[in-house]
Order: sequence, then C-alpha cells, then structure tokens
Amino acid sequence: MKQRILNMIWQPETFLIVLLGILFAAMGRLDASFLQWEVQRALSSHVWELAIIAIPMTLIILTAGIDLSVGSVMGLSAITTGMLFQKGLPLPLACSASLLVGIFCGFLNGWFITRMKVHPLIITLATMAAYRGMAEGISHAKPVSGFPDSFTWLGQGDWFGLPVAAWVFAVMVGLVLWMMHGRAFGVGIYAIGHNETATRFSGLRVDRYLVALYTFSGFASALAAVLFVARRNTAKADAGMGMELGVITAVVIGGVSIFGGRGTLIGACLGVLLIHETREFVSWHWNRDELNLLALGILLILSVVFQKLLRHKQGSAL
Amino acid sequence: MTDTTTANTTPPLKRALIFLLSHRAAGLFLFILLLLGIVSVVNPAFLEVQNLKDIAVQAAPVCIISCGLMLVLVSGEIDISVGSMMGLLAACMGAMVSESRGHLPPGTAIVLTLGIGVVIGLLNGWLVAYAGVPSIIVTLGMLTALRGVTEIVMGGSWITDLPDGIRFLGTGAFMGVPISLWTALGVILISLWLIHRTAIGRRIYAIGSNPHAAYLAGLPIRPLKLFVFAWTGLLTGVATLVSVPQLSVVDSGIGVGLELLVVTCVVVGGTAVSGGLGNLSGVLCGVILMTMISTVLIFMKLGENATYWSRAIQGLFILGAIIADHWISRQRKS
Repeated sequence: MKQRILNMIWQPETFLIVLLGILFAAMGRLDASFLQWEVQRALSSHVWELAIIAIPMTLIILTAGIDLSVGSVMGLSAITTGMLFQKGLPLPLACSASLLVGIFCGFLNGWFITRMKVHPLIITLATMAAYRGMAEGISHAKPVSGFPDSFTWLGQGDWFGLPVAAWVFAVMVGLVLWMMHGRAFGVGIYAIGHNETATRFSGLRVDRYLVALYTFSGFASALAAVLFVARRNTAKADAGMGMELGVITAVVIGGVSIFGGRGTLIGACLGVLLIHETREFVSWHWNRDELNLLALGILLILSVVFQKLLRHKQGSAL
Repeated sequence: MTDTTTANTTPPLKRALIFLLSHRAAGLFLFILLLLGIVSVVNPAFLEVQNLKDIAVQAAPVCIISCGLMLVLVSGEIDISVGSMMGLLAACMGAMVSESRGHLPPGTAIVLTLGIGVVIGLLNGWLVAYAGVPSIIVTLGMLTALRGVTEIVMGGSWITDLPDGIRFLGTGAFMGVPISLWTALGVILISLWLIHRTAIGRRIYAIGSNPHAAYLAGLPIRPLKLFVFAWTGLLTGVATLVSVPQLSVVDSGIGVGLELLVVTCVVVGGTAVSGGLGNLSGVLCGVILMTMISTVLIFMKLGENATYWSRAIQGLFILGAIIADHWISRQRKS
C-alpha cells in the first residue's frame, strides 16, 4: 500500500499538476489579468496546432522513435492548400489535397524507417530538409493569402464557445485514448517501445505499427497546417518552422520517456499546457521572445535529465 | 561463396556502382567532375578562377566544422547545434571587439571566442556522456537555447563596427590564398593526424562501431565523447573566426541552417549515422559537392527560382546517401 502511494506520487503526471498549480499561482501573483477566461481563450488559439501534432508525436516517442519532420510537413501542406487555392480549386478540395500530401509525407517517413532500418531521427532529419525545401521550391517562398471568411472561420471562429481547432483536438485525443486504453493497439505501442526485437518475435507486425504511426503524424501535421493557414489567413513555406522542437519538448516534459515505452497521452497533454502557458506568459508579461527560445531549449534538456533522475527514484521505491 | 564467384556472377556495371558507392570519395569525386563538366558546357564562366575561389571560401568553414562533426557521428552521436553555436560565437566575437561595445584587443577576443566554443561543446558533451541525455535531445535543445542567448548578446541591434584587426581573418590572404583556406587545410591535416596517428582517433572509431566491446575493452567512453563534442565546439569557433569577419556586419541570423548543411556533407561523404564508419576524404568530397550545388544552380541558367530548391536538394542528398548505404550493405550480405 505504501509503495503504491509512493509510486503514484512519483508519477510524472502528479509532478506536472503540482508544477502547473505553482505556475498558475505565480502568474496570478505577477499579472492577474493574464488568467482571465477571455484572455486565455484568445491566447489558446496559438497552441492547438502544437497540441494536435503532439498526439501522434507521443505515440511515436512511446515506440522509441522521433519525428523531426512535422514542422516541414506543415509547411508543405500549407503551401499545397495555398497554391491549389490560387490555381482556382475549391477550398474543400485544396484542403483534402493538402491532407493527402501530409499523409503521403508521413507514410514515406514510415516506409523509409522500416525499410532502411536507420534510426528515425536521421530519416526525419533528411525529410525535414526535403519537405521544407519542396515547399520553398514550389512556392518560391512567396505567401498566398486572401482566403474567404468561410475558410478562415476554421482557424479564427468559435463553435459552442470554443475555437474550432479545440474541438478537432478534443475529438482526436478522445479517439486515440479510446484506441490506446486496454486495446491491443495501445499495448502494442508500449511493447515496441520497451523491446522492439522481443515484440517482433512475439508476432506483432511492428513495421505496420510504425508506418501507421508516422502516417498518422503526417496527417496530424497536415491538419494543423490547414488550421494554421485558416488562422493566419496566409499560406507560406515557413509555416510550422521550429514546430518539432515545441512538440517534442511538450511531450517529453509530459513524462513520455525519450527512450520509449513509458509515459501517457494525458501527461503529454499536460506538458503541452505547461509549455503553452509559460510561453504565452513570458510574451504577455515581459514581451521578450528570445527568453522563450532560451527557456524552451533548456526545458527540453532539463526535463530529460529530470526524467532520468525520476526513474531512478521510482526504481528504488518499487 | 568466394569473392571470385560473386565477381563473376555480378554484371560489371553493377560491380562498378558497388565500388563507387562503397568507396564514397572516389564516387563523389567522379560525380563532382561530371557536374563540373555539365555546368562548364552550359556556362563556361563557372570555371573562372574567381568563381572557384568563391566556392572554396564558402566551403572552408563548412569543411572545418565537418571535420569535427564527422568524429561526433563516428562516435555514434549527433550534433545539430553547430549552426546556433556559430551564431552565438559570432555575436560574442562581434560584441567583444566592437568599438562601441567590448572594445577588447582582437587577440583576446579570438582566444575568448574559441574558449566559449569549447565550453559550449563541453556542456553538450557532458550532458550526453555523463548525464545520459540522448545527443539529439541535447543538441536540439541547444539549437534553440543558443539562438535565445544570441538575441540577448546582440541586444536587438546589429554589430557594424568590426575593427580591421579582426576583419583581417576574413579578408586577408597569405601567398594569394585566403586565410580561411589555409585554416581549413590546417584543420584537415590535424584531423588526419588525430584519426590515423593517435590512440584517441582509433578509440573514437572503436566506441562507434561496437560500444559494448569498447566498454569491455576498458576504453574511456565518456571522456572520449566529451572530447568529440568539445573538439566540434572548438572547430565551430575556428570556423566562425575565419568566416564571419568576411563581412563587416554581424547579425543574429548567422549560421541558421548550417547544422543541416554540415550533417548533409558528412553523411553524403559516407559517414555512417550509426557510428564507427567514415573517412575524411569522403567528407571533403561531400563538402565540395554540397557547397558547389547552390552556385551550380545559379550558373545552370535555370532561372532565378532554381535557388529556392537548394534545401530540397540537400534533403534528397541525405536520403540518397542513406539509400545507397542500405543498398550496399544488402549487396554485401547476399
């Protein structure tokens, strides 16, 4: 019993909730206006794209993989939407095409990773350059704007009191949680992360799982790109620049082990919330974005160091 | 099956391809010659001495950093923070020598810049080797964090008054050859010595090709990893010193995307991303090829828009190198 309680306390999620509590208290002290519902709702529009991509990223990191190309897939999908719209295609078709592009990019990542047997970080580093480069090449780095209101509503409008993107995120989280919870799919993902070889020998089709996950990541990035274009009313090749860092930091801070096999989607969502609130507060209160860059980088490294220490403690408590 | 029978059953064209891909330097050298041939037919101005010199000057800092990054990859790690590190070192160097800011003598500034490079490298190496954080996470974090520090050092404005003493490093020449090229040559020679003639070099290959065996053999894995990161930090400092003073302005965008270019050069040059494999001649050919490409795109008269594709070409080259490695290893097995 004592051990069970100790174990619960040492869960990363518990730490995150405590940390968030401290953070909110500190922010309330420094600048109470930041915590108003209207302000929070308005600022939340910055986070949904990151949050949507964090869902597949969590699953990928759980399998001990990584996807560095998410920001670039966003760029390529955004440009696809923009260029097709400019060519006079109806927007629903343009959006579907950009989702297809994202799915294809993700599939290609997964295919390369499972076929070449090279660590995902190298493959996705390569495709990060390739996809971004294609976006720049196709668009000549020129922006496309002037989307109709019916489209920008996706990124700027509300539906039942919350931004449309929030609903998209909620549906995706719900679906993935349902898929993960006690189902073979979820167990399989954790198994791959714990010991890929053993999982392979136990008859699970590991390669199919991985291809599916990277494809899902491409799809989510493309979805984020469509929402991003709608929010900014601009499609540009640099959409989602640096997104990979924010997403990976959020997921890792959320207690998902970078070595795979440990962590939860709920934890990752708390990580996203933590990153988002910190980032917005620094911009809101001090208005200095360079501090954000510094903080994000240090947070990423520290959270992994902390994770290692935490696992150590957890091991001794067991 | 012996070698002779395999040789007899494989068609000669495929055999040649296998040879060129596995002897990366030779393959890349032929590819560079081919590219030179094509571009000089389309536009003979490419072969003018001034143009070739410009390409060499562009390649020098990339070459210097690649020598360090190659060892990082050989040891089984990766460093994608070199671009941001260069940005920070440039800002520090500028802030130290600028008359309106630090106003230090150039000699002191040079030593301090190299020192900061080593310290950042040591920090990377310590986090990887002693704190046990994967190198991709450490250097991804650094990639961003150092940009933030750069902005703070720059203080929101450009540094425009670099004194002549430091400008000389970028613009000066010795026997008609720019200083950066001499430096690159020196770094190449030192790296060759390090790799082939010292225990450190051989041990770095050992820990990369089989970490467990290296551990059992009692090799000092952690200090060696610390060393490769610090060495890369030092070389990034050297590259900053010889390339940034070529212009009189230091802005906060220096080195953006450099990490990708360097990784591309090293990987295209035949260095295995899984560690333990790689040679300097291949990497040098990789550097020459990758720095040539943007100029080639301009000289091929494909139109102004062709240069926008240079990043895509970089990515495709890495993918190509990975596919080539995979194909080679499969051919060897069968």
